[in-house]
Amino acid sequence: MRGVLRLLAKPFTETAGLARWMLVAGVAITVIFLVLALFAPWIAPYGFAQSSADGVRFPKAGAPSGDHLLGTDRLFFDVFSRVIWGARTAIEVVVLSILICVAVGVPLGLVSGYYGGWMDRILVMIMDALFAFPSFLLAIVFSFLFTDIIGGSVLAVALSLSVIYIPQYFRVVRNTTVSAKEATYVEAARAIGASDGVIMRRYLFGNVVQSVPVLGTLNAADAILTLAGLGFLGLGIQSTDAAEWGHDLNRALADAGSGIWWTGLFPGLAIVLLVTGLTLVGEGLNETVNPTLRRRRLLPVVMSARQETTMTEGGN
Amino acid sequence: MRKKHLLALLGAGTLIVSLAACGDDDDGDGGNGGAGGGVGEPWILGTTDTVTALDPAGSYDLGSSSLEYNLYQTLLTVPANSTDVVGDAAESCEYDDPQTLTCTLKEGLEFSNGNPLTSSDVLYSFERAITIQDANGAAIYLLGSITDTAKDGTVTLNEGAIETPDDTTVIFHLDQPDTTFQYVLTYPGAGAIVDEDTFPADEKLADEEIIGSGPYKLSQYKAGDQAVLEANENYTGDNTGGAPQVFVKYYSEPSALKLAVENGEVNVAWRSLSAPDIADLEGNDDVTVATGQGAEIRYWVWKVDGPVGKDAAVRQAAAQVFDREAIAENAYDGTVDPLNSIVPPGFAGQKDSFEETYGGPDADKAKQILDDAGIQTPAELTVGWTPTHYGPSAEDEANEVERQLEESGLFDVTLKSTEWEQYQTIYKEGAYDLFMLGWFPDYPDADTYLSPFVVDGGFFQNGYSSDEANQLVDAEQGTEDPAEREEIFGQLQDLVAQDVPFIPSWVGQNTAVYGAGMEGVEDTLDPSFIFRFWLVSKSS
Amino acid sequence: MTRSGSLPRYILQRVLLVIPMIWVILTLVFVVLRVAPGDPVSAALGGKLSDEALDQRRAALGFNEPLIEQYWDYLSAVARLDFGTTFSDNQPVLQVVRDNGGATLSLTLAAFLLALVLGIPLGLVAGRFRDTIPDVVIRMFGILTYAAPVFFVGFLLQAYAAKPLGLPTSGASSPITAFTVEPVTHILLVDAFLSGDGAAIEDVLKHLVLPALTLGLLVCGVFIRLVRVNILQTMQSDYVEAAEARGIARGKVTRRHAFRNALVPVITVIGLQFALLLGGAVLTESTFNWPGLGNKLVDYINDRDYGAVQGIITVFAVAVVLISLLVDIVNALIDPRVRY
Repeated sequence: MRGVLRLLAKPFTETAGLARWMLVAGVAITVIFLVLALFAPWIAPYGFAQSSADGVRFPKAGAPSGDHLLGTDRLFFDVFSRVIWGARTAIEVVVLSILICVAVGVPLGLVSGYYGGWMDRILVMIMDALFAFPSFLLAIVFSFLFTDIIGGSVLAVALSLSVIYIPQYFRVVRNTTVSAKEATYVEAARAIGASDGVIMRRYLFGNVVQSVPVLGTLNAADAILTLAGLGFLGLGIQSTDAAEWGHDLNRALADAGSGIWWTGLFPGLAIVLLVTGLTLVGEGLNETVNPTLRRRRLLPVVMSARQETTMTEGGN
Repeated sequence: MRKKHLLALLGAGTLIVSLAACGDDDDGDGGNGGAGGGVGEPWILGTTDTVTALDPAGSYDLGSSSLEYNLYQTLLTVPANSTDVVGDAAESCEYDDPQTLTCTLKEGLEFSNGNPLTSSDVLYSFERAITIQDANGAAIYLLGSITDTAKDGTVTLNEGAIETPDDTTVIFHLDQPDTTFQYVLTYPGAGAIVDEDTFPADEKLADEEIIGSGPYKLSQYKAGDQAVLEANENYTGDNTGGAPQVFVKYYSEPSALKLAVENGEVNVAWRSLSAPDIADLEGNDDVTVATGQGAEIRYWVWKVDGPVGKDAAVRQAAAQVFDREAIAENAYDGTVDPLNSIVPPGFAGQKDSFEETYGGPDADKAKQILDDAGIQTPAELTVGWTPTHYGPSAEDEANEVERQLEESGLFDVTLKSTEWEQYQTIYKEGAYDLFMLGWFPDYPDADTYLSPFVVDGGFFQNGYSSDEANQLVDAEQGTEDPAEREEIFGQLQDLVAQDVPFIPSWVGQNTAVYGAGMEGVEDTLDPSFIFRFWLVSKSS
Repeated sequence: MTRSGSLPRYILQRVLLVIPMIWVILTLVFVVLRVAPGDPVSAALGGKLSDEALDQRRAALGFNEPLIEQYWDYLSAVARLDFGTTFSDNQPVLQVVRDNGGATLSLTLAAFLLALVLGIPLGLVAGRFRDTIPDVVIRMFGILTYAAPVFFVGFLLQAYAAKPLGLPTSGASSPITAFTVEPVTHILLVDAFLSGDGAAIEDVLKHLVLPALTLGLLVCGVFIRLVRVNILQTMQSDYVEAAEARGIARGKVTRRHAFRNALVPVITVIGLQFALLLGGAVLTESTFNWPGLGNKLVDYINDRDYGAVQGIITVFAVAVVLISLLVDIVNALIDPRVRY
């Protein structure tokens, strides 16, 4: 247990100064949104598709007020509630898509890297093609496919996102596997008769999976932007299915010209904040996990006193 | 270093621009000459409609017909704010009997390239439209009375259906009594006259190359971007008086169009600004919001052969609590008008049958209807709509309908939405008990709102079949007497209000927003949705 | 799979890889479009016509053929560079690409330039002064420009910056400019310069400002972070440590060694951001009504216009693949370790 805690604390202990504060800020923001997402039913004053309370209908596009902290939108929904419920939708979609990515991409990369051969070459080619192609365009095409088949639900959008992000996990895991499988300890394991499956599970897995958390966090940030982009184009989740920030922003476009700023500003800010938080966490993790970025602590060198010399550095 | 090179480039670029600007003497007001007559300045129309094709053989949508009405002539046409048909290329068209229509062309008609327009061009236009049978074209759907459809779907022109005894006479021999045919002739997608020497007989002509005989000719066309129309010097008709040049700019987002008309980047914005945009522009002093009667409708269709819709009492009760005023107000900010009949006002023979039958929304009356029929309340009901075909306010309307039905205490509604592609298939398969559809008229006659809907389930296959309705439709299509037709239309609308195969919701207004210096815009805003460029002008 | 590096062999290998990669994308898009319910006919006419009529039209267009046959027809047509005509608006697909590609090109290039000019210096500074206030400020700027969705930024600029600055809110030019400028290269900016018409040039440049700024900020943020990370990695490397140990001042080390070497991998990575640029271009074009391929693509997808979507995606795929090919070759020229 202590080992795990120490591992979790590494990003904090190994950074210093402003870098640590940025990481802390990122974690704090992310945690706030996670809390909003988890406890939405209790934190949000109203439901995400609720248009009246106690028989009184909400105002249409009403300005922020006591009853509606962030105002209401044209569909008579409370903006504050939809922002909070939107956090839940965003977290749900992103977590689901990352889980799918990891569940599919990591084993695939592991197996492909380990066995090599023509299967590996084909997979690499497919994944490279997918990876190189603008992911947002693919996301549009795939979201059509999935929302048509299973309806505009969280699952459909999550699947679309997974498809475009799996190549990243695959590549990273595969490349690490390819270099790791030649290592001596693997050879030794083989020598003592470990089967392929055991080697992959017990020896390689721990090694290759190290970069996944960083990838996952940065991916989550991008996924939220993609989700918002899809919602903005009108694909996927509708108002009554769930609250989604991008969709609300799309509806708010027409409002801003009429001086109704609250319907667009707050969902927009929510996106910016959550993505910023996740990116800060991801980058902060990167600076600890990635050995080439790790700050090497300079130990002060104590030298014995010596005479002044006449040689000085004449550079600029 | 890279930075330095870039700065140098930028500097050079700025220098070039400023030098070039010094030597500029053109205020940019329409470069190419050749614009013949015309009154006033060129002006810019902004719209979100899309053009499918400018070759009439390949179009059946408003975006295409908007340009075609100005570029081509048809035999007959509908003047602004009227439901009479008058001659356009034809002097007149008369029914010798309900199956024979004779048109006499005007003398001396020419296309914009100087070629004469004669009856052979008319025959050619119809023949090629039917031969091409383009999936997007209107001809094969609207010309049922002169064509025959084989089992495999191939459509052929009936033998001898169009007779041209001389250069200025065209005789149509219809295969059934059909007095709506004269109206069909007003629609460019079905009846625009093209130059037989320019248009190929078996395939569509590229959009940029089309030639017509209308008041304007096409000078430039960039699909999805803009079209430029210039006055046609060879036009001899009455529709003159418009500007020498009209630019049509296409927008994909209504909000972008709204900003453009606010900032004066376009002079007229027509179709389709969203309800909040229009409401906001009404408070803006720089622009004027003009509205005329519209013809686009929204209606809710019952699956009459479904488990819930089969009970007339359920359908009638829903119609009894349906509050279309609230929908128009809440979902559309009052930019649409409540529709009390499937035929919108402005069409001869229209009557507000639903209001006459049901009066205002009344939950008690509705309960009575259900109790009398022994229906248990609350009745369970699946209501369907689509977010991707009818604009963003469709969502508002669907929510509103759900609220109204549930607040009456008589219905328990499950609201479902599907993207348009799926939607079209599954509503026919019974996925919903009540679902939303929209409609646009094909021609300026009440028949276009009745025969596609009530005859044998309608195009939407909702299972409604009534002998009385079928007879009435045959009767109105078989007689030429306007008074008689209006009477029959009235009966049909009453029948619809009684049987409620669908519930009309609203009729859109024909709205345009224009900036300073524009005149004549109001004159062309009528239910025909023809935007007549020749009526509009701009003074500086 | 290690071979001794030889440049021509490497280039050949990379070029040969181009074709399978494009083929993978095309197949993927084809499958997805056909598997998804719907087709161009019902998208356009479903609200108006009976099922039989729709079916007749579908059959006439060949949509009821077995998928394999459609796939084969499609591939052979592409091989002949015949992309057909769009269904929803009767335009030859290649003409759509020609007429709209220029607009996307000028938008992405302008944004790219902006991002380079802004992003690289800022990234260098941030990396050099790691964990100081400038670093934090620049990093936050980079993160915020990435986190703010392109359509949000674009919309803010449109609504609040356009009028005060006297800039147009949408489009690539006024209709009059589009009408009067002779389409020589079909890239409006270049054609305007070629025509020498000062008003036209000014008009086109004015329309370019806001969209390029919007997309450029997004990419700039990504560049800042990338350059910074590369600088950090370079600064940690052995030769930098060696130079410092010899007593050379930090600044000189940075300028003479670290920057130059850090920029080498940055070239690679920046080339890969082209895909990001294209994706962002789609949303930017939608927000600003920019007449580019991205906007058209979304429209055609909505219309289920298979031919058009496949044609445009082919163009995008080729562009992406060619750019990455170019980047790989440049990289191989500079860095011999890369050739395998």
